[in-house]
Amino acid sequence: MPTSEDMNDLVRAVATSGDRQAFAVLFKHFAPRVATYLVRGGVPEPLAEELAQETMVALWRKAASFDPTRAGVSTWLFTIARNLRIDRHRRRGDEDRPGPLDEDGDDSVDPAPWPDESLATAQRERRIRHALGRLSPEQSLILQLSYFADKPHASIARELRIPLGTVKSRIRLAMNNLRRLIDTPQP
Amino acid sequence: MIRHHPDEALLAALAAGTLPRGADVVVAAHAERCPHCQARLRELDAVGGALLEDAEPAVLSPEALARTLARIDAAPAKAAADVAPAASDVSAARLQASLPDGMTWPRSLRGAAATRWRWLGPGMRWSRVTLADDRAANVFLLRIAAGKSLPVHSHRGIELTQVLYGTFHDGRARFGAGDFDEADDSIHHQPVVEAGGECICLASVEGHVAFDGRVARVLGALVGM
Repeated sequence: MPTSEDMNDLVRAVATSGDRQAFAVLFKHFAPRVATYLVRGGVPEPLAEELAQETMVALWRKAASFDPTRAGVSTWLFTIARNLRIDRHRRRGDEDRPGPLDEDGDDSVDPAPWPDESLATAQRERRIRHALGRLSPEQSLILQLSYFADKPHASIARELRIPLGTVKSRIRLAMNNLRRLIDTPQP
Repeated sequence: MIRHHPDEALLAALAAGTLPRGADVVVAAHAERCPHCQARLRELDAVGGALLEDAEPAVLSPEALARTLARIDAAPAKAAADVAPAASDVSAARLQASLPDGMTWPRSLRGAAATRWRWLGPGMRWSRVTLADDRAANVFLLRIAAGKSLPVHSHRGIELTQVLYGTFHDGRARFGAGDFDEADDSIHHQPVVEAGGECICLASVEGHVAFDGRVARVLGALVGM
């Protein structure tokens, strides 16, 4: 499986030379995961595949503005897929209006040099992923639901039959534990 | 210096994309001028990225990649400049022209409409903000003169406030420009603007606000709470 640094390089290849092979590798890895994210959020399957494709089209178009010092490819794609999901909700709520302006509409960014901070970002994201696997089942579930279920905390509370305050405090605890695990040197 | 930030659960909901629109623009208005919360959001986004990375891959149709490449070939990227400013921006622009020097209009309100300042009580004005993509969201601006106080009120829902300009004290703490406040049904408060100058806040309310007194009832009726 490609590392996150490999993924960064693939996006760079898409940005600088429209490299379709690089794009195909990114697609194979991420499109099925983005589709899962959307399906778990209640998007029907054919549409989820459609939106996963749209997410990857956005990757192609925005590749030049990808900044690996800020986020890894998976984080960047998560935010793109999330924004597409939100836009879809909003459009459904008000059909005649054009979709909202793209949140990071400034695509005219020069491809940045690949500074060393991207390594620190990649390492930090690796640690977050590793730490997620070490949370208690309860805290892991609350983050899964919070990010993937596309439901406000109040709905999650009803579903789990716990008070809203408990949902919030579990999220706080989960994030505190994540931070503690991230800052602890890896074994 | 910013002292009051959105709670972790609120920021996590912003990162997950599950906040109601009204709350979303107020929390985003805070984050856009708070480097501390921007760093927290980057971390919360990275949690989303890690969850995505760990997600079980779905089975896509065999032509999914070919179709995506066809879409890329079919429509070159739209020029960013082809989006005309929405008509609603004009009304917001009028309101912005009336703002004190040094106050920045939140980027999160891009595309939103705002009414002119309306009288609410002595030294108290408000503007109803209408979001282009959720016209029912209860979002408004309050502009309170130096030394004046807001009506005492409590909430049945959650009230989020971002201080855009000036300073108020609500008996619990002091809130200055850039500060964020979340008040729920346990809080019965009366914000008082400091003597030095006026205060402008962006607020959203989920659920209803229960005001005490006449001016307060007028506000409640006007804002539709």
